Amino acid sequence: MSRTVLICDDAIFMRTMVGDILTQAGFQIVGEAETGVQAVEKYKHLRPDLVTMDIVMPDMGGIDAVREITKHDPAARILMCSAMGQQALVVEAIQAGAKDFVVKPFQPSRVLEAVNRVLAA
Amino acid sequence: MDAARYAALFAAESREHLAEIDEALLDLEQRLAARGLLDAEAADAPLAAVFRAMHSLKGMAGAMGHELVEQLAHALESRCEPLRDGSELLTDAVLELLFDGTALLRQAIVHATGDAVALHDAASSDGPELSRRATQLMARLGAAGERTPNAPPSARPSAHPFALPAALPAALPAALPAALRHAAPAADETSDLFPVARGSAAAAGAGHAESWEPATDSTPHNANLRHVDVRLTADCPLKGVRALLVLSRLQQVGLVRSTYPEQAQWTSEQFDGQFRVMLITGADDDSIAQAVRSAGDVAQVQVYRPAAARTAQHRGTDAHVAGQNSASASAPAASARNDAAGFSLEGPAAFVRVDARRLDALLDLVGELVITRDRLLRAVESSEHADRETQRAARDTARLVSVLQDEVLQARLLPMAQVFDRFPRVVRDMARDLGKEVRFVMEGRDLAVDRSLLDALVDPLLHLLRNAIDHGLEDSATRAAAGKPASGELIVRAARDRASVVVQVQDDGRGIDREAVRRRAETLGLLSVAQAAPDAPPLDDDALLAIIAHPGFSTASSVSRVSGRGVGVDVVNTRVRALGGQLELETIAGVGTLLTMRLPASLAITRALLVQVAGETFALPAAQVEEALVWHDDLAAPGSAAISLRDERIPLVALEDVFGLERPDGQRDPERHVVVAEWGGRRAALLVDALLAQQDIVVKPLERVRGAAPWFSGATVLGDGSPALIVDVTGVV
Repeated sequence: MSRTVLICDDAIFMRTMVGDILTQAGFQIVGEAETGVQAVEKYKHLRPDLVTMDIVMPDMGGIDAVREITKHDPAARILMCSAMGQQALVVEAIQAGAKDFVVKPFQPSRVLEAVNRVLAA
Repeated sequence: MDAARYAALFAAESREHLAEIDEALLDLEQRLAARGLLDAEAADAPLAAVFRAMHSLKGMAGAMGHELVEQLAHALESRCEPLRDGSELLTDAVLELLFDGTALLRQAIVHATGDAVALHDAASSDGPELSRRATQLMARLGAAGERTPNAPPSARPSAHPFALPAALPAALPAALPAALRHAAPAADETSDLFPVARGSAAAAGAGHAESWEPATDSTPHNANLRHVDVRLTADCPLKGVRALLVLSRLQQVGLVRSTYPEQAQWTSEQFDGQFRVMLITGADDDSIAQAVRSAGDVAQVQVYRPAAARTAQHRGTDAHVAGQNSASASAPAASARNDAAGFSLEGPAAFVRVDARRLDALLDLVGELVITRDRLLRAVESSEHADRETQRAARDTARLVSVLQDEVLQARLLPMAQVFDRFPRVVRDMARDLGKEVRFVMEGRDLAVDRSLLDALVDPLLHLLRNAIDHGLEDSATRAAAGKPASGELIVRAARDRASVVVQVQDDGRGIDREAVRRRAETLGLLSVAQAAPDAPPLDDDALLAIIAHPGFSTASSVSRVSGRGVGVDVVNTRVRALGGQLELETIAGVGTLLTMRLPASLAITRALLVQVAGETFALPAAQVEEALVWHDDLAAPGSAAISLRDERIPLVALEDVFGLERPDGQRDPERHVVVAEWGGRRAALLVDALLAQQDIVVKPLERVRGAAPWFSGATVLGDGSPALIVDVTGVV
C-alpha cells in the first residue's frame, strides 16, 4: 500500500511540481490545500502519512498550520517547503513541529531524500 | 519534468499573479492618494498580496530556471518586507519603484516565455538590455543580503579552533582505547528538550577507563565527554537549520554541553556548516556518528575524546565557550538574546519606577480580562441575535485585550540574572563547606521572565544546587579515579521553549543511585506491585523522580548541616507544581544528573470545578476531575468509607472532615454530591455539598507555610472578588 501525502501550497504550479515528484516515486497524493486553514482541516480529515507544507500562504501561514497540526497529532510528519533566504522562518517551522525541509527550486532527488528521512524518523 | 506542461502552467500562473500585483498596487496608489503616507497596517492587505504573488513567482521561476525573473521577484519581495513589518512607511517614491519593478518583471517573463500577447506587453526587450535594466532596478531596490541560488557556495573560511582533515580517516584514530567501542546501550523513549539514551543502569558508567592510556599530557578529562565535529555538505541549503536538525538527533543520544560556534550564530550569514557539539554520552562513537548522519546533508562527522594533543585547543574552546556563557554579556550571541527578549541590561535610561504591587494588580486585572474576553467571544459567537456591529466590536475588543495582555506581560519582565547572579557566591561557599571542587556555569542569564516567576524560582534552585553539590558531585579524588576532571561541573541553564520557561540544573557527578533509591522505596512502601517484583526492570527516570519527590524521602544516611533533613526534590516538586509546571529528571550512573523545571511563562489559566463545602467555595482542577454525581444512599459501599460505582469500589473522602470545617448551624445540606477524582491511575470520591460552576480560573501560586498540610495547590479569585482555594487531590487523599 503506498504512502499518502497531503500537499499544501497556494501556487498550483508548486503543488503540481511536488505532486509529480512524489507520484513518480510511488506516493499517493490524497489531498491538496491552498491555505493554512485548509491544511489543518484536510489533515484531520485525511490523516496522511506525510505533509508537504509551504511557508507562505494566505489565511494562516505554514508555520501556524504546522503548529496546529502538531498540536492535534504530535506524530505528524511534516516536510517544510521553503524558498531560499528564509532560514529564520524554517527554524521556526522546525520548532513548531516540522521534521525536515527542502528548498525551492525542487530537485527531485533532494525532495525524495528528505521525504524518506521524515518517514524514517 | 514535462517541460511543455510546466511551461503552460507557468505562463498561466504568472499571468494571474501579475494581475494580482497590478490590482494590489493600484489599490495602494488610491490609499496613498487619500493619506499621503501609508503605515504597515493601512497598507496591510494589498502589500500582503503583492508579497505572496512575488513569492510565488520567485518559486516558479526558480523551478523553470528563469533566473532573471527569479532574481527580480526576489528583490521585489524583499523590498516589501520593511514595509510590511512596520519599519518603513510606504511613500509615493517607493510605490513608483514597485510599479517600475513590476513592469520590468513582466518584461522579463515575456522574454523568458515568449508570451507577449497574453501578458499584454508588446515591448520586446532583448536579453542584454533587459539584464542591464534589471541590474539598475535592483540597485534601486537596494536588495542586498541573501544569496541567490546561483551564487557559488562560500569558500572555506579561516579561523577555527579545530580544522577537519581533508580526508576522513577510514577508521577512528588508533589513540582511542578499544574499551570505548563497546555496544551502544539500548536507547529508550526520551523526553523533549535534552533527551538522553539510557542503558541498563546496572552497568557502571565511566568505569571503563582502566585500559585508557592517557596521552602525553596528564590532564584528566571527563570520560563521557565527546567532541562531535560536523561538516555539512557544501551545497547544503540553509545550513543553520540543518545544523539544528543534527543537534536534535544528538540530543537523543546524550546531554549537550555546549556547541561551537554558539547556536545563535548558526543562522548568521557567516556560518559555513562546520560546527562542534560537546556531548556527554555513554553511547559509542558509531552510534553518535549515525545519529548525526541521519539528519541529512552531512559531509563529515568525527567523534573525539578530547585528547591531550588537542588540550590547548580544547581548553581554548571551553574557555571561549565558558567565557561566553558566564557573567559578562558582551558576546554578540548574548546581545542577540537581549534583543529577542526585548530587554537590555545596559540600556538607555527610558525607564520609570513603578510600585511592584501595581504590576501585580495589573496582572490580576489582565487575567480576569482574558477570561471575560473568552466568555464574551463565546457568547457573541453562539448568539443568534448578535448583529455584525456587535460581532466586530467583540472581535476588536478581543484583539485589544490580547495586545494589552502582551504589553503587561512585557512590562513585568526581568532578566534571570536577578536570580542567577547571587549563585556563584552561594555555590562557592557551599562547595567549600562540603569539601568539593566545583566549576559553576550559568547559561541564559539574559532570559527575561515574569517577575513572579523569578521570586518563585530562588528557593527551588538553591535546593537543587545544594543537592547537586552535596550528593551529586563526587570529591576530587573520586572524580580523578573515574577519569573525570577534579572540579565537578555544575550548570544552571535558563531558556525559553515555546510557551514555557525551562530552568535546568545539570551536574557531571555520580548520578542518582537507582538501587539505593529502590531499596529505600521498598522499605517505605513506595513501590508499586509491578516495581517491587523480584524480576522487575530497573526504575526508569520518571519512576525515580516520582519516588524521590515523595515527601520525607531521603537516602542520606546522615543529616548534614547544609542539606538538612530530607530537603530537596519534594519541596522543589511541590513548588513547581504550584506554579503550574512540572519537574523532569534524567540521570545516568557515573555520568551526571539533569533536573529540568518546566514552568509556564505567563498566566496560568485553568479549567476548574467550583464546589461548596460547609459554606466555603473550593476549586477542583478539571484535570483531576473525572465525573460528578448527586449523592444517593445506594452509592455507599458496605464496609469502610467508599462508594460503589459501576462495580468499582472507590474510597470516599468527605472534604469537610479533611479540612476540619464546621457546618454552619450544624445543618446538613439537602443535596450532596460526589466528585470522582482521578490521577495517575488512582481514583477517589470526594464528598461535597453543592456543585457551583465549571469555569476557567486564574491560578495564583500559594506560599507554602512550613508544616501546613498539602491540601491546596494554589488559590484563585472568583468573579465576585472572593477568594477560593484550589484543592490538590493528591494531597487530600
